[in-house]
Amino acid sequence: MMAAFLTAVLAGIGDGAVYALIAVSFVLIYRATGVLNFAQPGLLILGTWVTSVLVVDRGLPFWVAVVLAVVAVAVVSMGVERVAIRPMIGRPVFSTALVTVGLFIVLLVLAFRLFAARARTIGDPWQLERWCLVEGEVTCAVSLYQHHAGKVAVTAVVLTVLGLWLGRSRIGLAMRATSLDQEAAMAQGINVGRMFSLSWALGGGLAALGGVLLAADGSVVQANDALFALVALPALILGGIDSFRGAVVGGIVMGLVSGVARVYQPVHAPWLGPNFENVAPYLVMILVLLVRPYGLFGTKEVQRV
Amino acid sequence: MSINTTSRRWFAVAAAAALLTASCTAVDDEPEPAATQDDSTSEETGSNDETETETETDDSAADTGAATETDDATAGGEIDFAEGVTQEACPDAVNPDNGCIYLGVLSDLTEGPFAALAVPITDAQRAYWAQVNEDGGIGGFDVDIDTYTRDTKYQPAEHAAAYQQIEPNILALAQTLGTVNTESVLGDMDANDVVAVPASWWSGYSFQENDQGLIMEFGYSYCVESMVGLDWYAENHGEVTSVAAVGYPGDYGGDSAAGAQMWAEANGVSDVTVVPTGPNQVTGGQDAVVSAVLAAQPDVVILAVGPAEAGEIVGKLAGGGFTGRFLGSLPTWNPALLQSAAAPALTALYNHLSPIEQWDGTSEGNAAMKESLGGEEPVNAGYIIGWAMSYPMHALLEKAAGEGDLTRAGLRAAVDGLEVDFAGMAETITYGGDGADVAVSGLIVGTPSAEAPLGIETTDDFYQGSTFEGLDYTQACSASS
Repeated sequence: MMAAFLTAVLAGIGDGAVYALIAVSFVLIYRATGVLNFAQPGLLILGTWVTSVLVVDRGLPFWVAVVLAVVAVAVVSMGVERVAIRPMIGRPVFSTALVTVGLFIVLLVLAFRLFAARARTIGDPWQLERWCLVEGEVTCAVSLYQHHAGKVAVTAVVLTVLGLWLGRSRIGLAMRATSLDQEAAMAQGINVGRMFSLSWALGGGLAALGGVLLAADGSVVQANDALFALVALPALILGGIDSFRGAVVGGIVMGLVSGVARVYQPVHAPWLGPNFENVAPYLVMILVLLVRPYGLFGTKEVQRV
Repeated sequence: MSINTTSRRWFAVAAAAALLTASCTAVDDEPEPAATQDDSTSEETGSNDETETETETDDSAADTGAATETDDATAGGEIDFAEGVTQEACPDAVNPDNGCIYLGVLSDLTEGPFAALAVPITDAQRAYWAQVNEDGGIGGFDVDIDTYTRDTKYQPAEHAAAYQQIEPNILALAQTLGTVNTESVLGDMDANDVVAVPASWWSGYSFQENDQGLIMEFGYSYCVESMVGLDWYAENHGEVTSVAAVGYPGDYGGDSAAGAQMWAEANGVSDVTVVPTGPNQVTGGQDAVVSAVLAAQPDVVILAVGPAEAGEIVGKLAGGGFTGRFLGSLPTWNPALLQSAAAPALTALYNHLSPIEQWDGTSEGNAAMKESLGGEEPVNAGYIIGWAMSYPMHALLEKAAGEGDLTRAGLRAAVDGLEVDFAGMAETITYGGDGADVAVSGLIVGTPSAEAPLGIETTDDFYQGSTFEGLDYTQACSASS
């Protein structure tokens, strides 16, 4: 049973790393613009498609394709912000969020067009290779898939670099200033519109990378796998909708909750029904909302009454 | 507001409009709604037309491979018709002198979970009916399935709304995708006498208490598939002492798992493991399935999932030392799996099950289907499904027209006793019965092969097992949801 637990934890951390990456992509845009961008799933699957086309159809090396896909989706994301979101400045946030819902539908339909009813592969370097950590009597007792390790490594590197850049560069400082107070930032000579574009570009790029990591499981990916991005929402709520650290912690926790529930719930609580692991993150999210509505690391909203 | 802001807004509106235009679905732009007849109407055709129509209809049957024993009614001169049939020609009619039969399509064409399969299904249906029209139509009428094709996104609420919208203008449904979606409108279909061909294979369609005799299912159900598949496995790979059924809960995986359990009970096998799962975009991955199957170590695993999940499950289990085999249900296969890391495992351990001939089939219907694409291969086997599922509606329309009654009630009455020959693509079905009277069980078994069209090489044609034949098949194997 310990072996099953360890395997579930390792897989949970691997999945959680992808949740974390996607949750951070939401946070980036939310902090800069105050909008929860529901178009992220569309950007995610666009990144997967571009990577697949460049690797499978054009024969580019995987990592070159990933970088190009991330850049391409970042540009698309920036264009979407310029065309559809920028005109909404000054409008209620709710209205802007609804625009992103519309964008989500448009991008999803576009993704279905691009995939053209085909399943695709992305040619990732990990495929179905795995390391056996603990040998069993007959087969390997505890194993770690290389793609799970790869997901954790890529997420760690990317988020570390991003964190350092946001914390130390002038642009990163300007982005943070914009997220804190747009008018004050403008008064300091910061081009707020540019910061919006940049945050959408970064958010879109991270979503694209999340899509690539999602597809790296040795199987095929299809257009409707875009909806995976929405699974990151509980992680976002758990960590706090405006917290990078919260998004990372929330992603890992949700991956673990889901992974462990998969192994133990069918054995110890079968009365909860099949696929309870898909519900578990949302239950955690509801609990957190009841106790800490702003999440584990989110900013507590203070209202003058 | 500054001029700059105004022009930006107009630019934004124009860009949004362009995006929406680009996002148009596979559904054609809707032409002007055709006039419908409020009251039952009779159409008389001239003697010259009569002769021509009779000849052309026969050609139609030949070109699609369809076989019907019904005489052409226009030879008799009169056909009653009402809702969904007009004396006016179809939009962009192939035969401008013909009237028009409007058939509805409620499918998953853009963003739902089965869109990848549903789009080629619908494409094939359009090609099939275009061929029928090219060959003269049916009883002096062309058939239009474009005008009332609606994307229901695999959501029952969307399905019901779309049905309500198109119902006054259609004679029948050429396609209704998804069991739960179809069930959401079955009551209204009953009240409106709307007959439909489903793109789903729930065992409940074999019983009139579930479908009111309105659903013209084709091929076997997922439940029967599991039973016959396990018979085939036992005959070809040795005795089965343990089985695992992995699938989505509900009318797909649930029905498939119920079939595996019924087979096990009938064959004295007590070791059955049922592993429910969901699509990767919901579950994140199939590691839980892999762990559960590794723990159970069954001889054979029945899969009723999607292609991405099938590839991951088979690939990881094979890599984990699992030595059993896999039987995959109709929607589990996609040719792209042969480019995935799971390809060696799939080629070695997997067999694909289908109630319909695969692309390498040699039947008359298969040849007609291939001709419709001019030798090109479709993106996946959805095209085969769409072509094959058009035969029942074709035969029904021919029969109703032959009896001079193209009203909905006439169609509904014509279902009972209708024998549909699928031109060799699937087993002949006689509609109107219950359980074993209407259910078929012929199994096409395929093996993954990079050399075969659509990646599947047929290894067994219409295999018949013994377990299903011996069952007292009196009710659906599972609930639909």
